[in-house]
Formats: sequence, C-alpha cells, structure tokens
Amino acid sequence: MTMAMRCTDCTTITRLPQNGFGADHVQLNKYFDDIVAELKKSITLGGKTDVLQSLEDLFEECSEEGWDGNEASPITEDAYLEARRLISNLPINLRMPEVVPEPSGEIGLEWSKGKDRVFVLSLSGRNEIVYAGLFGINKVHGVEYFGDTVPSTILENLRRLYA
Amino acid sequence: MVEPVTPSEVLSRFIMQTNWYRLSDNRVRYAAFMPNPKDGETSVYRICGILEREVWEIGDREVGLKRYKPVLGRADIGASFVMMKGLSVVPSEPPARHANIVGWPEEKSEQRLVALELAAEAIFYEK
Repeated sequence: MTMAMRCTDCTTITRLPQNGFGADHVQLNKYFDDIVAELKKSITLGGKTDVLQSLEDLFEECSEEGWDGNEASPITEDAYLEARRLISNLPINLRMPEVVPEPSGEIGLEWSKGKDRVFVLSLSGRNEIVYAGLFGINKVHGVEYFGDTVPSTILENLRRLYA
Repeated sequence: MVEPVTPSEVLSRFIMQTNWYRLSDNRVRYAAFMPNPKDGETSVYRICGILEREVWEIGDREVGLKRYKPVLGRADIGASFVMMKGLSVVPSEPPARHANIVGWPEEKSEQRLVALELAAEAIFYEK
C-alpha cells in the first residue's frame, strides 16, 4: 500500500525552503506567509465578491416582468437568495461562474470552457438545482436537492468540466 | 400562404440582453434560446435570401422598436440543427419572416440542455 505524505521541504510558490535559521529567517518566513495569505484571499474572495456583485446587479435589472423586452418572468428574491447561498458555498478552489438571467425568472450560473464544454445550473428559490452540461459529445442533465451544501453531483460535473 | 420552414434555412434570434452573450469569445449564451415562459416558444426570423442590412432592419423594426429596447446582436442557427434536436420551427406571420421554435421538452433540465446545444451551434453577430 502506498501512503500519500505531505512534502514539507518542497519549494513551491506558497512554500519557502525550511533550511534557514535565525531571527532573519523567521522574519522572512512571516513576511512570506503574509504575502501568500493576501494572495489567496484576493484570488478566492475577490472572484466570489465580483460574482455576488454581478448577481445583485442582475437581480436589480431583472426583477420586473418583461425585463428582456418580451415576456420574461421577474427574477424572484427567493431565486436571488438561493443563488447567493450557492455561490457562497462553492469551494474556494473552483472557478467562479457567470450569472445569467433566464426568461423563466430563474437564475442561471454558467461555467464555460469553450463552445461545447459548458455546465449550467438554474436556481428558482425552491431548494432545487436544475443542471445541464455539455462535455464535448457527452451530455448530462438532471435535478438535485439543494440543502446546506453544494451537492456532490454538481461538484463532480464542475471538476469534469475543468479536468 | 406562408411556406413551411425547410431544414436548409437559417434562423436569426435577435438579442437585446447584454448578459445573453459574451464578447470575449463571441458566443451567445443558452438563456437566449430558452422559450418564452408564457407560450413555451422561442421567437426567430427566417433570413434566407435577404441581405445582411435587411436582417438588422427586421431586428430593429420588428423586435427592438416594438419592445423599446435596442437590438444588441443576433444568433444565427441552421433550421436543420434545431429540427435535429427534436424541436419544430413553425411560421408565425405577421410580421413577415417570423417563426417560432416549438416543441421544447417538458423537463426543465432537458430544456436547458437543448438550449445549451443550440447556443453551442449558433453563430453570434454583434450589432
């Protein structure tokens, strides 16, 4: 049996080699850790903050009937809050989606990696995630219950998209 | 008598919503093809045999002006592809050249999958 072990001596963009000593080394390590923490914060939270802002803008723009110039149903507050909850619950290592208003009044979240590699999910505020995806010639679609966490089926499809 | 839509025709879906297309890769999004919630149909125009300028004129006159919103672009798709997905294209005049994509699946997830496939196939033109 092979066991996976953490490599403590490997130098990566977020890890300094541990072969120094003295006060300067400790201070340098601390500076480095602070920089890495800020970098991670800006990448993950920054992306999430931008998507949440887009979601808020979409809710404002599309909350009245006919927002598409046709007969689109208004985006409901329940759908908005549910989309907000889902985005907030996405793992930080996942790419953030783009928000799309649907004529049915639901909110779509779209992840795209080219014209025929797209995954979307729709939220209506009824604790239900309707999803569909194109992975080249393969396709998926279905419905998942949305409780407190993002269902594993959704996460698996997102990982498949970016694999 | 309006001629039925044939598979060799090209259909245009006029877009008035900024978040229904993406300029970074010049793609239309699936939501642009999703059916109207009131009648379950997607409105399109038959553009075979007319000039590019005339296509935009139809968009401005029949879609933009009537809905008080500017046409921002259009997504063109072959009727054959739409039909291949199990949908039908039914002429619905007036206005001239107007048709509806009908026969969308009942299941919401399947409806989105078909809309994704149409969007992947369509060619987007920014106005």
